[in-house]
Amino acid sequence: MDPLLYVLDLIVFIGIFGIVALSLNLEFGFAGLANFGKVAFFLIGAYTYALLSQIGVPFYLCLVAGGLVSAIFGLLVSLPALRLRADYLAIAVLAFGEILRLIVKSEEFAGGDWGITVSPAISLVGASHRVDALVNIGLVYFCLLICFIVVQLLANSPYGRAMRAIREDEVAAEALGKSEVKYKAQALMLGSAMAGVAGGLYAQYLQYVLPGMFMPMVTFTVWIMVLLGGPANNWGVLLGAALVQIFNRGTNILKDYFILPINPTDLQYILFGALIILVLLYRPQGLLKESRIKTKAMEGVRRARNAVKNKGSQ
Amino acid sequence: MQETLLKIREVSKHFGGVYAVSGVSLNIKGGGIWGLVGPNGSGKTTLFNTILGLHRPDEGDIYFNGKCINRLAPHQIYGLGLVNAFQIPRLFSRLSVLDNMLLAARGHQGDTLLNSLFLRKGWQEQEVELAGKAMEILETLELVHLALSPAGELSGGQRKLLEVGRGVMSSPTLLLLDEPAAGINPNLGKKIFQGIEDLSQEGLSFFIIEHRLEILFDFAHWVYVMDKGKIVVEGKPEEVLEDPAFFEVYLGV
Ligand SMILES: Nc1ncnc2c1ncn2[C@@H]1O[C@H](COP(=O)(O)OP(=O)(O)OP(=O)(O)O)[C@@H](O)[C@H]1O
Ligand SMILES: [Mg+2]
Repeated sequence: MDPLLYVLDLIVFIGIFGIVALSLNLEFGFAGLANFGKVAFFLIGAYTYALLSQIGVPFYLCLVAGGLVSAIFGLLVSLPALRLRADYLAIAVLAFGEILRLIVKSEEFAGGDWGITVSPAISLVGASHRVDALVNIGLVYFCLLICFIVVQLLANSPYGRAMRAIREDEVAAEALGKSEVKYKAQALMLGSAMAGVAGGLYAQYLQYVLPGMFMPMVTFTVWIMVLLGGPANNWGVLLGAALVQIFNRGTNILKDYFILPINPTDLQYILFGALIILVLLYRPQGLLKESRIKTKAMEGVRRARNAVKNKGSQ
Repeated sequence: MQETLLKIREVSKHFGGVYAVSGVSLNIKGGGIWGLVGPNGSGKTTLFNTILGLHRPDEGDIYFNGKCINRLAPHQIYGLGLVNAFQIPRLFSRLSVLDNMLLAARGHQGDTLLNSLFLRKGWQEQEVELAGKAMEILETLELVHLALSPAGELSGGQRKLLEVGRGVMSSPTLLLLDEPAAGINPNLGKKIFQGIEDLSQEGLSFFIIEHRLEILFDFAHWVYVMDKGKIVVEGKPEEVLEDPAFFEVYLGV
């Protein structure tokens, strides 16, 4: 296989999963919501894209629709669960993801086991695979950039501060006027929208959707990206997404050179499991630690305090 | 004295068989320092938590500014200007001391999703002002050098100070303080009460639980005494001190 194409393909995957990791970071890293059903919203985006593009809707509308439908589902699933305890939410969305996968697997409109073929978003006449990959990189990274800007702006705002406060102590945050349900529902809605867009990008890049693409393992992979890179640090989770994807590819290549007594995919899962245990034991804050809240006021105080300190040490 | 700010009518709250608060009625009028004292476990904190919407009263009604607040969520009650500082501080440990203060600011425009994204200029300016105010409060509380440290790194006494500081930061109409001077060195405790007195002169009202009677009775103009979930005595501090029932509650004589 063309090595350059392999690298380009890797870059596309990092971009798509980077978006999903950012969305989980918004929900878990900032708002403290354990979304164990991430793949459900990825699936909704992908199937919405596939179904709409089949009837000739332009690709950008398919992407937006994927985000919107996913956001609506995020809200619908979360509202009853948010009124219960946090761990119920985790279980509810985990089940929701599996149920959705079984539905698309058995429903004819969704192509069942055979899935749906998707035509590429932008097809240039006579373009090579490399050029196609480059076009995809442009599209994916454009979406990633928008998502990144949004989560960065939120993280460095009073809104993001309120989210972090709810994560730290929801009773105290309530008593200081921060409606727990409102912030959590909005985080899930926005996070689901982003995962939905990523799902659409995934569908159009692979040019098909299949139920098997949306196993619970996808959710756990994204969790590893966030925990490894550093929850509540948007650069960190992008780093995590890149590292996990590279690790994934690396072990995929290696398995062609080694003869193993066990199924190489299982070995990959075992290594993932070991990795996550190591991270949680030795670096529970992840590779990059939580980013501080940067607003004009906070930075002003920081500068003033540094000035005082420097004067003191002279 | 102005009109009634907080009106509590026959409020009860029980946990299983324990009547933590039973049939309490009281009136807090605007502008002043109101005290609440009583032995450990007499139901003072439970009464505060019930006022704040953290517990639903089992019986009775609570009015704030004439509005029934029994069924409101805590964040709505806070929005009305009825704010609390917890007995056991509940800080946001991984956030800085200054972030903790800013979180308490009422009416921060950047608190909503859309404003935080699209109205950045507006709330940035507002927040610079709020941070100035927060730093002033931290100065009084002798916490200003720790403004940028995580709240989780504070000592026990400093946590308590920050908890009180957050309450003041919210510019409430009525501030409930649950033992603001507990675990604070005596001088600073006095200083805090002097700060409270200054603020009350500016029109802010206080309802304060405090075991350190010698400080509270110097500043409060009206004191409620609670025992076993009931208000047993009320009056001006000097009257309460004369009341035999007060001694019975406190000294068991
Ligand atoms: N959440 C709860 N669940 C069960 N019982 C509770 C709860 N909160 C308080 N109680 C009980 O209610 C009674 C009153 O407690 P409360 O904390 O209101 O007392 P207090 O007057 O604030 O005491 P202290 O001066 O020690 O702070 C106690 O018997 C306590 O055990
Ligand atoms: Mg108490």
